[in-house]
Amino acid sequence: MDRSNDVNKKFQKELNAGTAALVLLSILAQADKPLYGYRIAKLMESGDKGTPMMKQGALYPVLRSLHQSGLLESYVDPSVSGPPRRYYKITDSGLNALKSWTKIWNQTKTFVDQILKGSSHV
Amino acid sequence: MYENIQEYLAQLKKELRGSDPALIQDALSDAEEHLQNALEETLKKSPQISEPHALESLIEKYGTPAEVASAYKEIETRIQPTLAPTKPSKKRSFWGKFFSTAGESRTWGAFLYILISGLTAVVYGMWALMGGVFSLCSLILIIGIPVTGLFLFSLRGIALVEGRIIEALLGIRMPRKPIFFRRKLNWRQKYKTLVMESLTWKIYAYLILHFPLGLTYFLITIFLLSLSIKCVLYPVWFWVFGRPLITINQPFYPEGWSFPLIVILGIIFLFSTFHLIRFIGRFHGRFAKLMLVRKQEQTFPQGSS
Repeated sequence: MDRSNDVNKKFQKELNAGTAALVLLSILAQADKPLYGYRIAKLMESGDKGTPMMKQGALYPVLRSLHQSGLLESYVDPSVSGPPRRYYKITDSGLNALKSWTKIWNQTKTFVDQILKGSSHV
Repeated sequence: MYENIQEYLAQLKKELRGSDPALIQDALSDAEEHLQNALEETLKKSPQISEPHALESLIEKYGTPAEVASAYKEIETRIQPTLAPTKPSKKRSFWGKFFSTAGESRTWGAFLYILISGLTAVVYGMWALMGGVFSLCSLILIIGIPVTGLFLFSLRGIALVEGRIIEALLGIRMPRKPIFFRRKLNWRQKYKTLVMESLTWKIYAYLILHFPLGLTYFLITIFLLSLSIKCVLYPVWFWVFGRPLITINQPFYPEGWSFPLIVILGIIFLFSTFHLIRFIGRFHGRFAKLMLVRKQEQTFPQGSS
């Protein structure tokens, strides 16, 4: 049972590694103002009715990765009374990447769905 | 079960032991920002819940320290700074390696950093010196305490900006978020933390030392580059303007047959300067990391994160 759980966790982790960036870009593209990590996590939580897709703590390094690649821009809102919040906003290259990634995602989804449907008939 | 956020952060820090100090600083800062926001919201909605219980469900969503540490380590390997050092190709010959440095972005990043250093050395040095003297003098008056506090606080801002420049140009991983104070501390405790924390004084020392270092990097680089470029272009320089190669007491005009030799020496000198520029970049990046990033071996500070 533990082994099966580990395998499932590993699969979920590998799947998340690719999709988290797409999900974050999509959330930031839909937002009408810059968002900080906790707000993004709350938005993901509200859209996630089943098992959480990923741990919220894993969002932050992905956000940094997207920022590093120039797909997001960010600024820090300093506060002397608490932790500074880093706000993220999608850039033009981020929007372009989102378009291409969505296309790739749809192709992948269709492909996997077809295979899965096919395998049920085997 | 964790009693408070600090316990969680201490555990997260343990899990990240051995990672880059800048990554640890960022991961702790992210976790604290997230958990503090989440805890405040939870306690506002359900004031009857105790802090440890509220934290338990928040950590369930945020991830255990082991899970979060693993995510940071895993993603960090994929997002090295743009100019992060790359492994040199083993197949290249000595001359191949020697000349290829001019085509590498790290060389030009370090060169740009050295050019900027000419300016930042003066700005940082003046700010540190004048701000320090002014704060010290103002301490005899009551306004001296807030003035000194603001000055020391400004050092952290400068450290963050310098860290971002270093990461962008020298490819050394530096913190991406500023250091902040815990929300529950009063002004007196925050002030004490600012003054007592060794990082504040390390940043101050960095700004003071950056003055001679930055200017030295700048002047040496400009001198060596202009000298080598002059050697490379000397035949043109001589035929067009009739100027000497160097003037020490009296002008020195080399013989015509030695011109090709001077050009070759100039080329070697130019590429050696590129290597020196890279060395300066590497050296300064390590020095900055030592001075501007909190040492992760020390115990978790009570006042700031």
